[in-house]
Amino acid sequence: MSVADDMTPLDEALRKRRRRRIVVLAVIVYIVALYLAQLFNPNDPVVYRDIVDHFKYGSIGADNNANGIPYWIWKVLPEVFADKLPGEGYESLGFVSEGRDTPIGFSRRRVFVDRIGLNCSACHTGAVRDTPDSEPRVILGMPANTMDLQSYYRFLFACAADSRFTADNIMNAIARRTTLNPLERIAYRAAVYETRDQLMERGRAISIFMNKRPDWGPGRVDTFSPYKIVMLNWPDDGTTGTSDLPSLWNQRPRVDGELDLHWDGNNSSLDERNLSASMGAGTTPPTVDLDRLHRVRDWIMDLPPPAYPYQINHEIAAKGEIIYRKLCADCHAFGGSKVGRVTPVAAPELQTDRNRLDSYTYPLSANQNLFFAGYPWRFSHFRKTDGYTNMPLDGIWARAPYLHNGSVPTLADLLEEPQNRPKVFYRGYNVYDREKVGFVSTVAEENGRKFFKFDTSLIGNDNGGHTYGVKLTPDEKKTLVEYMKTL
Amino acid sequence: MFLRRLLSTRLRRVVFALVLLVALLGFAGWYALFRVVPVYYASPEEHFKYGSIGVEVPAGIPYWIWVEMPKVFPDLLPNNGEGGYVSLGASWEDGKEMPIGFTKMTVGFPRVGVNCAGCHTTSVRTSTSDKPKFYLGGPSARFRAQDYLRFLFACAKDPRFNADTLMAKINNDYNLNIVDRILYRYIIIPQTKAQLIKTEQDSYYWMAERPDWGPGRTDMDPFKLLVLGLPDDHTVGSTDMMPVWNERASETYLRHSDGLNTTLVESVRSAALAAAATKKSIDIEGLDRVQQYLMDLPVPKYPFAVNEQLTARGREVFDRDCAVCHAPGSARIGKVIPLEELGTDPNRNRHWTPAAADAFNHYAPEKPWAFHNFQSTNGYTARSLEGLWLRAPYLHNGSVPSLVDLLKPPDERPKLFYRGHDVYDQENVGFVSFGPEAEKYGWKYDTVNVIGNGNWGHTWGTALSADDKKALTEYLKTL
Repeated sequence: MSVADDMTPLDEALRKRRRRRIVVLAVIVYIVALYLAQLFNPNDPVVYRDIVDHFKYGSIGADNNANGIPYWIWKVLPEVFADKLPGEGYESLGFVSEGRDTPIGFSRRRVFVDRIGLNCSACHTGAVRDTPDSEPRVILGMPANTMDLQSYYRFLFACAADSRFTADNIMNAIARRTTLNPLERIAYRAAVYETRDQLMERGRAISIFMNKRPDWGPGRVDTFSPYKIVMLNWPDDGTTGTSDLPSLWNQRPRVDGELDLHWDGNNSSLDERNLSASMGAGTTPPTVDLDRLHRVRDWIMDLPPPAYPYQINHEIAAKGEIIYRKLCADCHAFGGSKVGRVTPVAAPELQTDRNRLDSYTYPLSANQNLFFAGYPWRFSHFRKTDGYTNMPLDGIWARAPYLHNGSVPTLADLLEEPQNRPKVFYRGYNVYDREKVGFVSTVAEENGRKFFKFDTSLIGNDNGGHTYGVKLTPDEKKTLVEYMKTL
Repeated sequence: MFLRRLLSTRLRRVVFALVLLVALLGFAGWYALFRVVPVYYASPEEHFKYGSIGVEVPAGIPYWIWVEMPKVFPDLLPNNGEGGYVSLGASWEDGKEMPIGFTKMTVGFPRVGVNCAGCHTTSVRTSTSDKPKFYLGGPSARFRAQDYLRFLFACAKDPRFNADTLMAKINNDYNLNIVDRILYRYIIIPQTKAQLIKTEQDSYYWMAERPDWGPGRTDMDPFKLLVLGLPDDHTVGSTDMMPVWNERASETYLRHSDGLNTTLVESVRSAALAAAATKKSIDIEGLDRVQQYLMDLPVPKYPFAVNEQLTARGREVFDRDCAVCHAPGSARIGKVIPLEELGTDPNRNRHWTPAAADAFNHYAPEKPWAFHNFQSTNGYTARSLEGLWLRAPYLHNGSVPSLVDLLKPPDERPKLFYRGHDVYDQENVGFVSFGPEAEKYGWKYDTVNVIGNGNWGHTWGTALSADDKKALTEYLKTL
């Protein structure tokens, strides 16, 4: 006999009503919870189905933690601190923009609030103009020739250190752009000071280090010093490791040939190279988005190097090819016996600036063995070398300026004796120089925008060495340069 | 039947449930904190470099604390932590998770211990910007055993050694699961702190008042005061690390610089105890494998150019003036040369007392590996000179930086130099011991004002002609 059988009709009606009330309440709680979970999702990256969009705007995890800057704060910083930028918006730092919500190179992910982080394309997307009046061609995978990463960092640190970085100022600026709901407003107000403190903290050590070295300028970065200074908390060892950003295309033959990667060939594992670079963009071992990083990896494996967009004289190029085969291919063509191998910097014909090599020290390579400790992909391929690798030259026309420190503006200059190469030139201007093959490097300013004066006499900037080919006749050099446009 | 009787009353059922619960909790606690998972390296070389000799159970440092310490406390390391554990002279091979001489083993959770290879592996570079080449079995020129211990103790005593600080660093590097997070925060971190502080007070209290060992040196106090628990006699016994290669050739020689033991097996096992293994935890099997490996470990050849003509002449000098004590098979090799005859710093000899030898011979009488062959002597042994080029600085206390200096009359030998930099000095045959880089990466060795560091004595060869010295030095490179 069940209990229900004893109920009066009134009891039963009351019970039904109680039940209904519970159901309604449960539905309301559920809807509110769903709304809150969506509003403050702890991990919700913006997803791009198209791989090209993913490369340009997708996340690799640099937005996946406190390194990610809350979206609306990031959006209004260029307005609140316009005086700290050389021009308007982040584009004035040389980031390439397609007119979308962010320039190429920034990803967005909700971690309670939306956050912005860097991705691969920030440093590996370039722009080329045919003439000062042309629209830029955006080339994915190209070394970011105009982007000044150091100035971006300095801008953020300077904002954080400024007394105007207050919740009121930031919230007012945000209110001019959008209407946040009350819950978001509370979250953002708290995030302002959290963001400021985090930027100050990060900025302190790295700024002291950066301010004692020659500026990177556009298209360059000191890859390994932050490892030592920030991640390992070491004192400044006095070395300078500034080097050019590399191209990202056509990785498959590099993997297949087991080529040594990085300028000094300190690692032969593509995945470790990628993880290491992602840390430079702001990921940490627990926050790196492996799946999305691997999506980029898979795509750059067969991303073709860009074809030279201007006319090539194939007759002349054919002559140059003969010289190239004889003089360069062994070290610089896929399949060459020395391609992707390290040439000692002391070799008589190499002797390029050794600062980058010496800044990657044995103790650093040893300590890198504990990066990603606990994960199956713990670093195990880093090693100290004694020189620089012989890089494959695919798409070399788009990789100017040349040498590991970007100290020689054009291919024609590189084939000159070191004393005849330009001692001072400008970087960051993206109009192409078809004569000398590289970017026009004599323009200091255009429409109020100043370019970066590269002084080869500064530490790490030496343009000597790599004297292969400098003894060729002017005609031979011309044919060789013509051929190199085809690579 | 039994089970039904056991559970026949309510009280019994409750008691049974409680017992079961306690047992389960006990098992979980044992599993999470104490279960030992041995690591076996099939290769004897890997075993020497990374295998356990039994120190992880009593003295293992929790892995994640060990990983983070150099980053949290760089100021407590030499050179403000430039190089992490490399600043302590650790030899770290490409791609390896642990430096040579450091072990990783699970005792409940992964812990880091040390083994023989830390002090018995050395390195050589041709310049500071170079990558070092490692020589297994060589006496470490760089490893600072004492400073490693001091670093651990100093970290533990530092206010930054707390769960908040360490967990924040660990979480930045690894996603620990919730159980490990709780264990680390509430048990492992506070326990490690307490234990390290206690270990310093109980077992290493004497270090504070002894002269520093510096890189590549140790003394017998870990034997006397840590293992045997003898009262502190305040003697000083700083000594250079020993090479341990090609042990078969020196099987009949007396062990240690003063010949304090007659057998290899006892010196191997006692050294493990001094490295913090205990009577209970010592891994005799693992040590036997190490010993086996050392028997025929080859002696590294001098890697730089040698003048063959000079070595031939040098050999004649050696045969005439050195061979009686230092040539294999000679009358005095491996035997004790009395202090009066030798004239070197007597501190290390006096440091190992008859009482210490006696105590060690009665240390673990119940064990099959009990010790019987410790003794106290009146001098230092005449050493075999195999791989001499790699054994700088010279004399038992490492007080003479190079062979060229050793052949000088004592008052012309350097009074102050820097040891612990592994860039090789082919000119003087030894390591670069002077100049800004030696000062930065090395450690100041004072032969005059620090007890136990005297560089006098062993005047054989000091009166040779300049040509003979040059020839002899050249020949010594080839040993």
